Amino acid sequence: MSSSREKILAAVRTNQPVELPLPTVPSFEGDDSVEKFTSIVQGIGGTVVEVADATRLPEVIHQLFPADYRIASPLLPEANVPVTAQTPIEVLAAVDLAVLQGEFGVAENGSIWVPEANMLHRALPMITQHLALVLDRRNLVATMHQAYARIPSVGGYGTFLAGPSKTADIEQSLVIGAHGARSMVVLLV
Amino acid sequence: MSHSKRSNIFLLDAERTTWHDETLWFVRQKRDKAVYATPEFQELRQLASDIKDHTLSRLDFYLQQFEENARRNGVQVHWAADAHEHNQIVLGLLKRHGATRVVKSKSMLTEECHLNPYLIKHGVDVVDTDLGERIIQLRDEAPSHVVLPAIHLKKEDVGDTFHLHLGTEKGNNDPQQLTETARQHLREKFLVSEVAISGVNFAVAETGSVVVCTNEGNADLGVNLAKVHIACMGMEKLIPRLSDLSVFTRILTRSATGQPITTYTSHFSKPAEGKEMHVVIVDNGRTKQLGRPDFRNSLKCIRCGACMNTCPVYRRSGGHSYDFTIPGPIGAILSPNIDMRKHASLPFASTLCGSCTDVCPVKIDIHTQLYKWRQVLGQEGEIPASKKWSMRLLSRVLSKPAVYGLGGKVARQGLRFLPHGLTHGKGYNPWAIARELPEPPKQSFREWYAQQAVK
Ligand code: SF4
Repeated sequence: MSSSREKILAAVRTNQPVELPLPTVPSFEGDDSVEKFTSIVQGIGGTVVEVADATRLPEVIHQLFPADYRIASPLLPEANVPVTAQTPIEVLAAVDLAVLQGEFGVAENGSIWVPEANMLHRALPMITQHLALVLDRRNLVATMHQAYARIPSVGGYGTFLAGPSKTADIEQSLVIGAHGARSMVVLLV
Repeated sequence: MSHSKRSNIFLLDAERTTWHDETLWFVRQKRDKAVYATPEFQELRQLASDIKDHTLSRLDFYLQQFEENARRNGVQVHWAADAHEHNQIVLGLLKRHGATRVVKSKSMLTEECHLNPYLIKHGVDVVDTDLGERIIQLRDEAPSHVVLPAIHLKKEDVGDTFHLHLGTEKGNNDPQQLTETARQHLREKFLVSEVAISGVNFAVAETGSVVVCTNEGNADLGVNLAKVHIACMGMEKLIPRLSDLSVFTRILTRSATGQPITTYTSHFSKPAEGKEMHVVIVDNGRTKQLGRPDFRNSLKCIRCGACMNTCPVYRRSGGHSYDFTIPGPIGAILSPNIDMRKHASLPFASTLCGSCTDVCPVKIDIHTQLYKWRQVLGQEGEIPASKKWSMRLLSRVLSKPAVYGLGGKVARQGLRFLPHGLTHGKGYNPWAIARELPEPPKQSFREWYAQQAVK
């Protein structure tokens, strides 16, 4: 244990005020409809495609990405880049499209919870040029309160992913595709 | 140099000042829209404020709880009493891994500690990966805003910078193309960096996780590709429970840019297999601030930048005029805590209109604290001489009604006859620099009132 630790904790104890209560956070409800979720996702630069049934996923992907893409996915038989947690960086860097499973979506902000277990490699959702997240339309919640109630443990790593990577750092002009995925499509099954 | 002197430099370019003002006001308006669309926003503000109040009141407990849980997750926790110790710890970790190539995602704390120059001095190639941060790093400038670090620059400035450093064509000022250039340039850095440094938006005591929010994904990309992740956090970033994040993730970006949430809200709890994760907990004056009841509240700040976007003084003076890591109203409260003499002019860089307090998502009483700092500075004799004497004179006049009445009469008559050059002289009437004096009224309120009473 460093001496700074003891010094800091001692100073905190001397200087912190008398204990104040910790409030209970109510679970604010809201609209958890597909319509609401879709409109928010579009507002943040993503796309929502409704897929009639899960077996048609490969076909829909092919329509959306007709070019000859290097695809990484645990969900598609035609994925041609095998990725695991040990995959070297050069291989990851060459992935054009990742198709991954999203756990649930949050209608108020269009984000989708993607835990480490669904990523193949932690860097895959960001290093891929394009990202498609498959989401069960029954797995929509209204607000972040219900979202966190669904994940009592965040595991080793996980992210709420909301749309493609973007920036507005140059004169506030919105540019899609800063470092992460250049596009993000939600496949609602 | 005082804030007003520095802002005079900014104001030399009137067009840019107007543009800066309008751009930030536009961001403020986006904030309003997002806030009005969230029915329980005011309740969320209160909850956020209460959660932070509680956390600060039991900070010793939560710091230890966080440390214990993070350790259990396989994360190594370090404590730094000040900026220097923080920098030493980071450099020590880099040395241990023989790392010379480092990517960094946005962190105001590492700015506060001046980590970059320290690492560079020790032979480390440290690259800021947030686009705005990278731009100002190439220009050797400091961020001028906590969320929009390059908000003071126009696209022509960025075009020139990239032409000079990244070989883009001269005169290519297209944000889309410039961003693409930065993407390729930074990708090279991401792929070869041994260590990634990130900031921390929230640290959850209950789970030992740190949460990092970005729109570009640069933190995730850096951290998930490098072998070692070093997360640097100010000790006030703690919150007790995972469920508390529901409150903070709802208010942070809505207040900052009007977005419903950042593109990536990432939770880092455990290092990936075969990799390392470190958290450096930094004090650097925070425990001192905790012990000042009048200013303790400022430790609740979640760095959304809303108070800057709304402040009429910040918008028209630019972030660099504050000459402190955190500019704007919140910076004006935090800075005298660190060095009262150096930053004595900052609590006066405000109109006290209270707009900052109105927009603050964690309900920090910003304008009240600014007012309190002014009093502290007054007692310490740190008020600028011009203000001190005019205040003294004013208080003498205001305490004698007869003198005040006479003064008013003289002014009303005098202003009518005195030549314009004398009454509006920039040298002695700073108020008239960018505006006309109002027409003096024919009579005073008292005279008018006396007449009414007779009727
Ligand atoms: S003081 Fe409030 S408004 Fe200003 S940056 Fe901090 S949280 Fe945001």
